[in-house]
Amino acid sequence: MPIPILERWFVRRPSVDRPPEKDRSHIRVGIPRVLNMWSTHQFWIGFLKALGIQYIVFSSETSEEQYREFGKGRGTVDCCYPVKCMSGHYGELIFGQKKKIDILLSPMIYSLPSFLRGHVVDTVACPRVMAAPENIKSGFLKEGDVFAQQGITYVSPFVSLGQPYLVPKQLYQSLKDVLDLDEEETREAVKAGYEALERFNRKMRAQSRQILTWCAQENRPCIMVLARPYHMDSGIGHEIEVNVQTHGYPILWVQYFPIDDDLMDWLFGQEIRAGRIRSAFDISDVWTSSYSSNTNEILWGAKVAARCPWITCVIRLSSYECGMDQPTYTPTQKIVEATGTLYFKFGDLDATKPTGSIKIREETIVHYVEKYSHQIIRRKRALLPEPCPLL
Amino acid sequence: METVTHYTAYRPRPFRREEREKVTILFGGLTWKHERLVQGALHNLNYKAEPLPNVSRADLDVGKELIDVGACCPTIFTTGNLISFLKSKVQDHGRDYVVDRYAFLTAGACGPCRFGQYHESYTMALDGLGLRDFRLFLLDQNQLDQGAANGGGLEINLPFTAGIIWAILCGDLLTDLEYMTRPYEVHPGETERVLRDSVEYLYEVFRNRPIRGKKWRVLAWHLLSDYFTGALRRVKKMWETIEVDRLQPKPKVKITGEFWLQTHEGDGNYNIKRWLEQEGAEIIPPPIAVWLDYLLRSNIQKLEDKREVDKRAGRKVALVRTLQRVYRGTYNRLRRALGNLPYELPNQDELRRLAAPYFHNRLAGGEGDMLVGKALYAYHHKKAHMICELSPYSCMPNTMSIGAMANVLGQYPDLLYAPIEIKGDAEVHALSRCQMILTEAKKRVQQEFDEALAKTGLTIEAIRRYEERHPELRRATYRVPHRGYPGTATNYVIHIAERMGKM
Ligand code: SF4
Ligand code: SF4
Repeated sequence: MPIPILERWFVRRPSVDRPPEKDRSHIRVGIPRVLNMWSTHQFWIGFLKALGIQYIVFSSETSEEQYREFGKGRGTVDCCYPVKCMSGHYGELIFGQKKKIDILLSPMIYSLPSFLRGHVVDTVACPRVMAAPENIKSGFLKEGDVFAQQGITYVSPFVSLGQPYLVPKQLYQSLKDVLDLDEEETREAVKAGYEALERFNRKMRAQSRQILTWCAQENRPCIMVLARPYHMDSGIGHEIEVNVQTHGYPILWVQYFPIDDDLMDWLFGQEIRAGRIRSAFDISDVWTSSYSSNTNEILWGAKVAARCPWITCVIRLSSYECGMDQPTYTPTQKIVEATGTLYFKFGDLDATKPTGSIKIREETIVHYVEKYSHQIIRRKRALLPEPCPLL
Repeated sequence: METVTHYTAYRPRPFRREEREKVTILFGGLTWKHERLVQGALHNLNYKAEPLPNVSRADLDVGKELIDVGACCPTIFTTGNLISFLKSKVQDHGRDYVVDRYAFLTAGACGPCRFGQYHESYTMALDGLGLRDFRLFLLDQNQLDQGAANGGGLEINLPFTAGIIWAILCGDLLTDLEYMTRPYEVHPGETERVLRDSVEYLYEVFRNRPIRGKKWRVLAWHLLSDYFTGALRRVKKMWETIEVDRLQPKPKVKITGEFWLQTHEGDGNYNIKRWLEQEGAEIIPPPIAVWLDYLLRSNIQKLEDKREVDKRAGRKVALVRTLQRVYRGTYNRLRRALGNLPYELPNQDELRRLAAPYFHNRLAGGEGDMLVGKALYAYHHKKAHMICELSPYSCMPNTMSIGAMANVLGQYPDLLYAPIEIKGDAEVHALSRCQMILTEAKKRVQQEFDEALAKTGLTIEAIRRYEERHPELRRATYRVPHRGYPGTATNYVIHIAERMGKM
């Protein structure tokens, strides 16, 4: 029986079609497919399309070749690979396009529109994520302005996507000259961007719910990936979960876990009523410094995985030298394992795919999932009330 | 139905008012000078308080053992430091005594990097040691009045916060005096002795601080009274006794970097400040006061962003700006009491402006745009020959601004910049990197000094003769005005020439 699988994450198709007010159809915008672009790309597509921009080019997924060909010698400091690889993405957009781009748009995303907003202290990005464009651009400026030499305008708006009311002003101020914007159309375009993002997230959550329902009805296990959004990039996360999926275990990513009321109430209602947490999205019981958006979501995902019966295994992906993940390793593992859910961590992901060790771990994961899933499902099911909204 | 014990985060047991007399509040992370003065402020409020022993190399291993792999070295050092202390106390007095008689107070709650998450590592280490019921409290640096949290034993109110802030400011000012005097002292060890006497004297000043009123009256008293300025004037007298010889061209090295690492004096940063001094440099130490000023600026920036969507934002900006002016005014008032010897706080708006082409002012975490701003500030104002930026291995924000500095250096190739990665256990490598840039800085100061002599027509002998007739020049408290050169000796030559009417 074929298992349900999630669609590709990075959809290039326009999500909105609004008549452009000024003709910007000739402008080609290149966007590096990196970091939090993985969870916000629909916003940017929606925003730019609403302004009448037709050509939006994302760099390809990360690869060692991309870095070798386009990014070498441009690095300015040694740090985690998701940031370091950006030089390759910039280089590819500048030098690797058949038709040259006019604008390289690399936003400094300060905060994120997380579904946990309002339940946590804040939803800011990792300091490296938000500052990465400043760091990477310097590699293209230190020995002369490569952007100018190539006739490309570099724009890097600082944007608080977690606070939508600030975004129109932020984008207007940084893009008004480059795109000849007025305030009103910027506001409208921002609205369109959020709508597109919301639509996409809803769709992905609906797909995840279908998968979960299938698991519940078939009494089959699935696997939850706890990682940052950019671990969906085959060059960053190395498709570790994809390999496991081929063994017949559907994969869910925390970022797109269904958050419907009935399901949330089923998983967390008892604890809310007991006064342990304020809402299904409250993570203060496990993590008190809830500033960082992706970290918060990972910890929330760990709580979900610990409770949801059909998630019998968690795969934690983390990049080498990730300072945000480091303090969360033990709490996440303890949260997940409290209910006997299996937990496997790939903690040192770097540029090179560790094929050998992945293979060995993959076999172990599959072995354990196969052996213990039914027992785990039974035990976790017994902890939750009847009826189950998935059945 | 089956039950399960879910994982829960650490929550400190309450610290009750009636326990105050028997519980010692531990704290750390600053220099011994700041810590002693903070201790005075806490003793003044009848808390038992004790700074942790200074961080040592061994703390790194202790920390590494107990927290998840990959932490930045400030997290590892500070965790190891607390744990080593607790371990030794457990050994002496037993576990129950330690959890009953000690509590730890640390700064926290400052956002996205690990600084806001230090306590997660501390609690993990406490777990590892079986001390989960040991009490650990967070001091939110954005809130001056947090009230009586967690049982009332610890009241983070205005007398408490004002005491700590004034102690920090005085600690900074003394540190400036120390680093500008020691390299030039004629009698080795004199600076150290006077410094210790000054710290002990100020400790008493803080311990005997009169608490006038509650809440805002306390703050008003701190701002207006001459209690602290009077004390600092006495400190200045103590420093007057130190004889210095400023005719030694020494490269001025401005220390910047990650907050903990730049502030620290000890094994945690390979004792790099002392080492640089021994190598012939004069250090410009990084005051904590700049960080507090930056926090005010960050708040202004956040509010400015909201101007169009929040009607009250404008008023709030004006309020914080006033607060910032009052804060800077207070620092200057204290400086004046020390004859304006300690360095001025750099203007935050200028730091922001200088950094703007390279690093956005709203990028948060660590020192934000200040690392770029400070480097350029020192460069443009000719305040230092060289910037030594202390960067913890795997620090998130710091790596980003170091990257951005590549662009700065592209445009200012003559800016001497030494970003030193500190792991805690790779001293030789770090110091030799620093040594390379220092060699160049030494050449520059010598050249600048020789030029000044040539320009003024003075000789060392002539200046010495002049000094004999004007012995006040050789006092540590004699203020040499900045005459456009980074080097103290160079400015001194120019100043003497001016006094002699040669310029
Ligand atoms: S979250 Fe981790 S992997 Fe991502 S940019 Fe920050 S430090 Fe690097
Ligand atoms: S600023 Fe850097 S070194 Fe300091 S706590 Fe944050 S990540 Fe660690």
